[in-house]
Amino acid sequence: MMMDIFMRRQALILGTLSLVTIVVLWQLVVDFGIVNPFFISTPGAVWQEFLVQLNDGSLLTNILATLYSFALALGLAVAVGIGLGMLSGWFQDVEAALEPFIWFKYSAPTVAFYPLFIAWLGYGTPTIVAIAFLFALTPIYANTLSGIKNVDRDLKRAAISFGARPYDIFFRVALPGSVPVIVAGLRLGVGRALTGVVVAELFGANAGLGYSIAYYAQMLQTNRMMVPIVAVILLGVILTQALSYVEKKTDAWRVTHDN
Amino acid sequence: MAMVATSARDTGKTGTAKAWRPARSTIVSIVSVAVFFILWQVAPDLGWVNGRFTSQPSQVFLAAIEVLLNDDFFYHARISLTEFFLGFALALVVSIPLGVLLGTSQTARYLIDPPLMALYIAPTLVLLPILVVWLGIGMASKVAVVFLGALFPIVVNTMAGMREADPKLIRAARSFGASRLDVFVRILVPGSLPSILTGIRLAVGRAVLGVVVGELFVSQAGIGYQLNTYGSAMRIDRLLVYALVVSAFGYTLTVLVRALEGRVRTWRPE
Amino acid sequence: MAEIEIRNLGIDYRKPNSDELFAAVDNVNLSVGEGEFVSIVGSSGCGKSTLLLSVAGLVKITRGSITIGGKTVTGPGPDRAVVFQDASLLPWRTVLGNVRFGLEMQRWTGGDLTKQAMSMIKLVGLARFADYYPHQLSGGMRQRVNIARALAVDPEVLLMDEPFGALDAQTREIMGGELLRIWESDKKTALFVTHDIDEAIFLSDKIVVMGRNPGHVKEVITVDLPRPRTPEILDSERFTEFRRRLRAHLAADMAGMHFMEEAA
Ligand SMILES: Nc1ncnc2c1ncn2[C@@H]1O[C@H](COP(=O)(O)OP(=O)(O)O)[C@@H](O)[C@H]1O
Ligand SMILES: [Mg+2]
Repeated sequence: MMMDIFMRRQALILGTLSLVTIVVLWQLVVDFGIVNPFFISTPGAVWQEFLVQLNDGSLLTNILATLYSFALALGLAVAVGIGLGMLSGWFQDVEAALEPFIWFKYSAPTVAFYPLFIAWLGYGTPTIVAIAFLFALTPIYANTLSGIKNVDRDLKRAAISFGARPYDIFFRVALPGSVPVIVAGLRLGVGRALTGVVVAELFGANAGLGYSIAYYAQMLQTNRMMVPIVAVILLGVILTQALSYVEKKTDAWRVTHDN
Repeated sequence: MAMVATSARDTGKTGTAKAWRPARSTIVSIVSVAVFFILWQVAPDLGWVNGRFTSQPSQVFLAAIEVLLNDDFFYHARISLTEFFLGFALALVVSIPLGVLLGTSQTARYLIDPPLMALYIAPTLVLLPILVVWLGIGMASKVAVVFLGALFPIVVNTMAGMREADPKLIRAARSFGASRLDVFVRILVPGSLPSILTGIRLAVGRAVLGVVVGELFVSQAGIGYQLNTYGSAMRIDRLLVYALVVSAFGYTLTVLVRALEGRVRTWRPE
Repeated sequence: MAEIEIRNLGIDYRKPNSDELFAAVDNVNLSVGEGEFVSIVGSSGCGKSTLLLSVAGLVKITRGSITIGGKTVTGPGPDRAVVFQDASLLPWRTVLGNVRFGLEMQRWTGGDLTKQAMSMIKLVGLARFADYYPHQLSGGMRQRVNIARALAVDPEVLLMDEPFGALDAQTREIMGGELLRIWESDKKTALFVTHDIDEAIFLSDKIVVMGRNPGHVKEVITVDLPRPRTPEILDSERFTEFRRRLRAHLAADMAGMHFMEEAA
């Protein structure tokens, strides 16, 4: 226990140290003229630019635009992924019918179909949401499917011994038993949905973090570009960590103590 | 596709030398794919959808022949493949030693964990525009995106593999007088191989994504460039040919690595 | 009313990875009287669980028949309840939730579910732990929950498949005593699978010794030790005599098994 706290503190100290070192080094290589600030900007300049974008409201606008597409895409992916996953987990024929398409989706990089979505939906939010939806769908579907399908056989047998009907087994055994696996799928889906939104925004949008990264890149304004880049990375970490926390909570009963 | 998908699950179910009889799930998969293709073929003819936007399997098939015969297909494929394999090779060379170091040294791990995890979780593709600023719109920026995309899954999984190695096994080996190098070569490497391969499999997906996104973003040649060209020209049939080529490539590599993974896992005693 | 009659019972399973069938149990004839406590012993894999689960209606009967109180068994029913090993508790439900589970599945109409569940939890001595999760309990406590869940639906027949199999020897002995105390309060017909000879003698009115390949009844031994039983009888001469007889049976079966393996 003591050891544990000690180790965690050590991890925290060293981790912070490394982040600070990176920032300091970043500033120093520019200050000493080793790297041209045009290429990598500097922490100081990025901070200045952060304040500017914060004050003129553009940062918030872009974050909200990205989050809006993200929420739509994730919501759709959750509804479709969990819905289809439950059907496939329960009915073998549904699983078999969908399997070839899911396999295709696994191996095909969704963005290769981006121009197709542009042809169908035009530039803007619908295409961004569609791409991010497809990005997020696979892990949510796959985890739901495996959670429902691999319902614990001992639990199922116990339920049947008390006269459970298929309906009971689905809602009282299979579904609650799948919650941790489904949440794990959600965690993966969250990361992918964000990637999908930002990538699609890089290609064409009129607001959003990805859009502003691409926009400043075209202007060759590294200082300005760094702000949305850091924002995306932070957003990814925060969203995924939040889901990891939920995952740990829902997974609590999985811990088995052998006493 | 259907055949591969279902046979993977069916292996081992029927061990007897009976006449082959397709499983129900195989039939359902085949029917489902057939229905999809038939609908896709007839829907534009019957006026259900606008064929200009959906194309048709028959058109895509003809377009595939055209593309292969005279569309500089191999030129563009070679560019994309070069970007992919260069970036991936670089990623392998850097990530495995880094993963080994991080997996065996706790201090190194604590030092690098936060930035590493942040980049593993966050979409590294956001770095694409800045890479283009640094490296230009040619192949170098794509190689860099592939490298970054492939790097982190391999580092993280190599690291996990190193840490997974059974401490009891290591202690036993040490008690027989094994040196550190022995432990590394005989226990850590075989023990972490499945995990490393898992990382490589994930990296393949991200690397293919990297090439396509990189070329779609800005390029002068490559599969992604062609995708853009035919997208703007509304040549859906040719667009689909190129998209399917990329998918087939990703699929083949993933299946290969997965097969390797499966073999390595069976060597490992549970 | 709740006597069990097993006639010429045979159960076939499919061999792994093939379409061939084999008999897990065959030609089993057995009568269990109302209110009797009967144990089934035999070496591992001889078909004890198969026999018990067929009475529970959880495996399909291939040949012969089972009747309970004159009614033929075709599937699970509210007249029977099974105590499994601890893996069968729902890990996301508390003790109370788990004991309620059987009642919910049966659409219990005999009053308030929570009240019924709580009274069973009290009976097995877990009143203080009603809102604990299974992973927070010891193995012995989890088995008390399992017993409470089965008793809550007030079955006429209690079926138990090595309920104490995962427990250490000491806990096992305590749980045996507890089970007897609970059972003696209303003497339900009980069928109890175990591989522990002492446990079988201590608990039972009759012990069914099973042999293997295919599973069959070798002998039925009547244990006429007086009730209520206390731990002291474990050292009595008659207890030792039963133990010797059972050991001889099981040892013979083991030898047979060895021979089979060499022949194969
Ligand atoms: N569902 C099943 N399918 C196929 N074979 C089974 C199944 N359940 C048990 N068996 C086999 O039937 C035999 C008897 O098993 P079981 O009744 O579990 O024995 P016991 O409980 O005495 O250990 C064993 O050979 C076992 O491998
Ligand atoms: Mg058994």
